[in-house]
Amino acid sequence: MSTSLYDRLGGEAAVDAAVDIFYRKVLADERISSFFDDVDMDRQRGKQKAFLTFAFGGPNAYAGKDMRAAHARMNLTEQHFNAVMENLGATLAELGVPAELIGEAAAIASSVKGDIVSR
Amino acid sequence: MLQFEGKDYSLEAGESVLDCLLRHGQQVSSLCRSGACQSCMLKASAGALPAAAQLGLKDAWRQQGFFLACICRPSEDLVLERCNAAASYPAVVRRVTPLSPNVIGVQLTRPTGFEFRAGQFVQLSRPSDGLMRPYSVASLPSEDELELHVALLPDGQMSGWLHGAVGQSVSLRGPFGECFYQEGESERPLVLAGTGTGLAPLLGVLRSAAHHGHRGEISLFHGSPLLSGIYLRSELEALSEALPNLRLFGSLLSGAEDELGAQGRWQFELSPLDQLIFARCPKLGEHRLFVCGQPSLVQLLRKRAYLAGASLSRIHCDAFAAPHSA
Repeated sequence: MSTSLYDRLGGEAAVDAAVDIFYRKVLADERISSFFDDVDMDRQRGKQKAFLTFAFGGPNAYAGKDMRAAHARMNLTEQHFNAVMENLGATLAELGVPAELIGEAAAIASSVKGDIVSR
Repeated sequence: MLQFEGKDYSLEAGESVLDCLLRHGQQVSSLCRSGACQSCMLKASAGALPAAAQLGLKDAWRQQGFFLACICRPSEDLVLERCNAAASYPAVVRRVTPLSPNVIGVQLTRPTGFEFRAGQFVQLSRPSDGLMRPYSVASLPSEDELELHVALLPDGQMSGWLHGAVGQSVSLRGPFGECFYQEGESERPLVLAGTGTGLAPLLGVLRSAAHHGHRGEISLFHGSPLLSGIYLRSELEALSEALPNLRLFGSLLSGAEDELGAQGRWQFELSPLDQLIFARCPKLGEHRLFVCGQPSLVQLLRKRAYLAGASLSRIHCDAFAAPHSA
C-alpha cells in the first residue's frame, strides 16, 4: 500500500469532521457516558481528537504508557471498550468511509485494548 | 529565549517550547505531543506566538494568549506562564449596594494596568489574613470602577466582611475565565444563562454586546428559587434600548400567580432553567452560549447544548464553587 490509512481517510480534515460526531455519540451512550460526567469537555474533546488521530493511523504518539496511565483507575471492562469501538465504527460509517478502511482503523484502535481494559 | 516563571531558557534550533521546558526539568503535563490533546496548554503574556501554536484552540483561549507548547516553535522571545497564573493588583472598596435580599454589588477602584474583559473573574483576597474568593466582573473595561456581585451567605466569611468594607483595601488576582463577548459576529444569536450571582458575568457579556451594537437575538435566562432573587431587573430592561432583540426570561421554582407571565420585557415561568432554555431555544447549532452559576447545572447545560448541536468552541462556562453561589 503506497499511501497511509491516515492519508486515505483524509488526514487532519477527516479527524476534524469526525471528532464532534464521535464525541456526541460517546456522551450519549449510556454504557459509557457516566465516565465523562465530571471532565472538562473542551479538554476531553482534545483527547478524543488525539485518539481518532491515532486510530486513523496518524502522526502522533498516543502511546501505550500514557493510555494505561490515563485509564488505570477507571476499572474498564471489555463492554466499555466495545462501546467505544462501536461508536468509532458508526462515526466513520456516518461519514461515508468504506467498510475496509473502517476495519483498518478498528484494528489500530484495538491494538491498545490491553492498555485500556483492566478486568 | 523563553522566560517562564521568572527564569530564562534558551531554545535549541527547531525545539518546541514543551521540549525545552522539559529538558530544563520544568513540570509541564503532556500526552499526545502533536497538538491534538491540549494537555500541554500554556499562556504567553508577551511576545508573538506562531499561528500554528494556537491551531484548533477556541477563540476565547487564543485571545488570552493560550497556546500548545508541544507544537510551538517560536521565532521570537516569549514570556510564558501557566494558564492559571496571573498578576496581583491592589484595589479599594468604594461602595457597597444591595441588589437583592441576598446579593450585594461591590464597587472597587480600577487598579492601574489591570486589563480584563467584562464577564471574566478575579480572585479577591483580604490582606489581613489572605482569605480569597472568586468574583466575576460585571462592569465594562471602559468604566473607571470594577463592579462585582457578591452573594451574602449565612456565616459567609468574605461576604459578611465585604458588606461593611467601604474604604478597605483588597487584592485582586486575575483576570481568569472565558465568559466574555466575542466581537465581529454581531448577527449571531446568543444564549446567556445563569443562577444566582451567575448574573454578574452575564451582565458583563450583555453590556459588552450593547457597547458593540449586537444585532442578533440575545436570550437571557436567570434562574432563582423565588422572584426576589431575580435582581437588576430594571437595569436589564434598560439595556434592551441598545439591544432591540434582547429577550429576558426568569426561571422560578415557586411563585404566586401574579408574579408569573409577562412583566415588562421579562417573562417569568415556573420551570427549571434547563427546560426553559431548551423550550425557548430548541435549535442551538449556530448560537454562542454563556453559562454561569452552580457547577452541576453548568455541566448539565454544556452537555445538553453540545448534544443539541452547539459547538464546544462557542460554549463558555463559568462554574461557581460552593462559597460563590447564591
